[in-house]
Amino acid sequence: MKISGSYTVPAPRERAYQLLQDPGILAKCMPGTDQLHKLAEDEYDMKMKVVIASIGGQFGGKVRLEDQHPPESFKLIVEGSGKIGFLKGEGLLNLAANGDLTEVSFDGEVQVGGTIASVGQRLLDTTAKLIIKKFFQKLSEVANN
Amino acid sequence: MATTITKSDTLVGKRIRRREDPRLITGTATYVDDIQMPGMHHAVIVRSPHGAARIKRINIKKAQELPGVAAVFIGKDTEKVGPVPCGASLPGLRVPHHHILAIDRVYFVGHPVAVVVATDRYIARDAADLVEVDWEPLPTVTDPEKALAPGAAAVHPEWPDNTAFTYHQEGGDVDKAFAQADVVVKQRITSQRLIPSAMETRGVVAEWHTGDRALTLHSSTQIPHLLRTILAQMLGLEENRLRVVTPEVGGGFGSKLNVYAEEALMGFVAMKIGKPIKWIESRRENFTCTIQGRGHVDYYEVAAKRDGTILGIKLKLIQDLGAYHQLLTPAIPTLSVLMMPGIYNCQNIRADIVGVFTNAVPTDAYRGAGRPEATHGIERMVDILAAELKMDPADIRFKNFVSNDAFPYATATGLTYDSGNYAAPLVKAMDMVSYKKLRQEQAQARTDGRFLGIGISTYGEICALGPSPATPAGGWESATVKIEPSGKVTVMTGASPHGQGEETTFAQIAADELGVGIDDVLVVHGDTAIVQYGIGTFGSRATAVGGAAMYYAIQELKEKIKKYGAMLLESDNVSFANGACVDNKTGKSVPLAQIAAASYRAMKLPPNTEPGLVATYFWEPPNFTFPFGAHIVVTEVDRETGAIALKRYVAVDDCGKIINPLIVDGQVHGGVVQGLGQALWEQAVYDDTGQLITGEFMDYALPKASNIPWLETGHTETPSPVNPLGVKGVGEAGTIGCSPAVVNSVVDALSPLGVRHIDMPMTPEKIWNLVQAGGKA
Repeated sequence: MKISGSYTVPAPRERAYQLLQDPGILAKCMPGTDQLHKLAEDEYDMKMKVVIASIGGQFGGKVRLEDQHPPESFKLIVEGSGKIGFLKGEGLLNLAANGDLTEVSFDGEVQVGGTIASVGQRLLDTTAKLIIKKFFQKLSEVANN
Repeated sequence: MATTITKSDTLVGKRIRRREDPRLITGTATYVDDIQMPGMHHAVIVRSPHGAARIKRINIKKAQELPGVAAVFIGKDTEKVGPVPCGASLPGLRVPHHHILAIDRVYFVGHPVAVVVATDRYIARDAADLVEVDWEPLPTVTDPEKALAPGAAAVHPEWPDNTAFTYHQEGGDVDKAFAQADVVVKQRITSQRLIPSAMETRGVVAEWHTGDRALTLHSSTQIPHLLRTILAQMLGLEENRLRVVTPEVGGGFGSKLNVYAEEALMGFVAMKIGKPIKWIESRRENFTCTIQGRGHVDYYEVAAKRDGTILGIKLKLIQDLGAYHQLLTPAIPTLSVLMMPGIYNCQNIRADIVGVFTNAVPTDAYRGAGRPEATHGIERMVDILAAELKMDPADIRFKNFVSNDAFPYATATGLTYDSGNYAAPLVKAMDMVSYKKLRQEQAQARTDGRFLGIGISTYGEICALGPSPATPAGGWESATVKIEPSGKVTVMTGASPHGQGEETTFAQIAADELGVGIDDVLVVHGDTAIVQYGIGTFGSRATAVGGAAMYYAIQELKEKIKKYGAMLLESDNVSFANGACVDNKTGKSVPLAQIAAASYRAMKLPPNTEPGLVATYFWEPPNFTFPFGAHIVVTEVDRETGAIALKRYVAVDDCGKIINPLIVDGQVHGGVVQGLGQALWEQAVYDDTGQLITGEFMDYALPKASNIPWLETGHTETPSPVNPLGVKGVGEAGTIGCSPAVVNSVVDALSPLGVRHIDMPMTPEKIWNLVQAGGKA
């Protein structure tokens, strides 16, 4: 499934970029995620709770940041698996300055498998959008503080 | 000697209610999941979430440590169990080795990799989640046409072209037919993957009797004896030490005409743990792991004369096989080829099948098995041809039917149609819908801007499977008829039923033949320790082959009954009728119960006659039977929503002699509903990575009662000369006749927009888009 979109973050580009690279901030903003443990440079251990359609469960996996071009762009890679299946997502985030604000646009692909794919497919698209929306809402709150 | 009351009222032909139903609708029937045994353990299977992956490592430690877990087995443990068999053979067929548990690589989502055994089903389920598999996902391909393209991911690395087999069949002179044609019509027609969705999912209970070195295995199957033979081989057991019991079966539709990995796996587990083991397939497993049906992409070409005479048919058939061959997987599309000309007099055909491996669960027999696809193809093509020639779709059919004086009729595909009167059901169906008037109404509706459609299909079938040389495992059927000392009759049929009502229809036939009441007859089936070897119920064969075997067993018994009757009546001229032997000279008679008692008491025996009244008959049919019929469907398409309203459904089926019209109607109803499912709603969808994204009933639209219109059924009766009962078979008729009639109707409705073909399922979204685009797909 392809996902793309853009959100405005209420912070200048450099700060927005910094926030998006901070594992503490990422963990705080990703719905269902408690914390990210550093495994290596730009690679973190992740635990994430996902509820979709009639099923829910915990995913364990990794978050990786790649191809960083501060403060313009970077690649975010998320891989996880759990009792209800697996998910793999990869997206390119672009940051464009808009005065004191930053336009963050993303373009990526999410792949899911197992029960989550066979049972949750019809809600996957909306769930993914919801998760992303919640992420940026939270990020905006953080940026405002 | 007593004079008995003669019983002259026959049961055959009567609408007798199914004798099996009271127990089914009062919850007193026993299905596999109802079986309880002391010390019984429960199994849950760990399956691949990937369409293709290498298994790098499996860690079962955590699962083993969970309290209540008795054992965990992986592919290496079951390596010595024989492969899941492919019963079909075709020249050059590539058969991948199908282990019951994957060892180092998985090929489809749902592929079993481990089995967890625990004292409780819930513990087993929790433990299954603790099995850790380290996967290395591999590229996948799920679309059969993409799988054939160069550079596609290889399902089995040893065969990078993903081609399991190619098959060519030709009859007559196709090139000449096409050269002489005034018109050639071409169309790509798909028949989507379907999920059989039996009400009862699969299930196995296996019990190992250590002392006897014997295994009893209960399974929800259509073929208990074949399952026994094959499982014994797989498990390395002597066949006579394996007993397969088939309790009540909650539907199969072909999906239980198979030998599954899980059946052998439960036998293996029972033998390992020495305790009874139960595995009940979950509905989600049923979606991803039980065979699916159809999966065709067909390219048709039909050559015809300007007057509508069909001269030749060409077909390129791409069959989506899935990742493995199940029992009959590669044979199913060959049935489509046999059925290619339908019931039309066309002696020039050419067919080429390509069987394609994909990263999906295997396809195999599903209600109609190859024949719905073929009928859909030819019936769509006939309508496309009619539209091209601006002919009425009924007229073009009448023009091309095999004529009544042509039977037995040899087809270009090598079959011999037994008997037929192909115009009769169409005439009857046209009368039932008032066809002429309906066309006038349609013309009016069109001027009002409404999309009203009339669709016809006239179909033929290959039923009563079948002569042994034409089947992979014997095409005969068996029956034992026992007249007990009290005169009660026990029939044991090898055609183990799964919803066909044999306990009623077979009892009707036996009661009539022996002149006893229907309640005097018990029909027993589905236990290899009780019933003589048999083949099973599929391919609309139970009555036509199994019923015929019973008929012949009864004829043998009648001869013996007459000998005892002659002895008891001290006569040399007796006949047997209406449940008694009658001295033709004196009119004295002796009832069956008295004869039976005498035969077992054996104080005196007729010359050269053994005691007892038991006969077993194995009957080999000389040919298939070929039922036929006509369905007419009236639809209206809502241009605002794309919804299709089924305004009328008329089904006229000719299944030969009718034993029980109530059961025949029930079979037609069920078949039509499944046909409507394919035409309008159902589709198993895999994404490119091999994930089944229609994995539950929220996403896979099985028809509901509220979706189904009143079904108007009618019948013509053209007896089959193939068997002594004159029956042909009706289990699949409804499905085979239905889908093309519905599509023809909707295409007819939208023909003012220039629509000439629509692939199934015709969902409102698809139709709405088509209407919005002005008929351009």
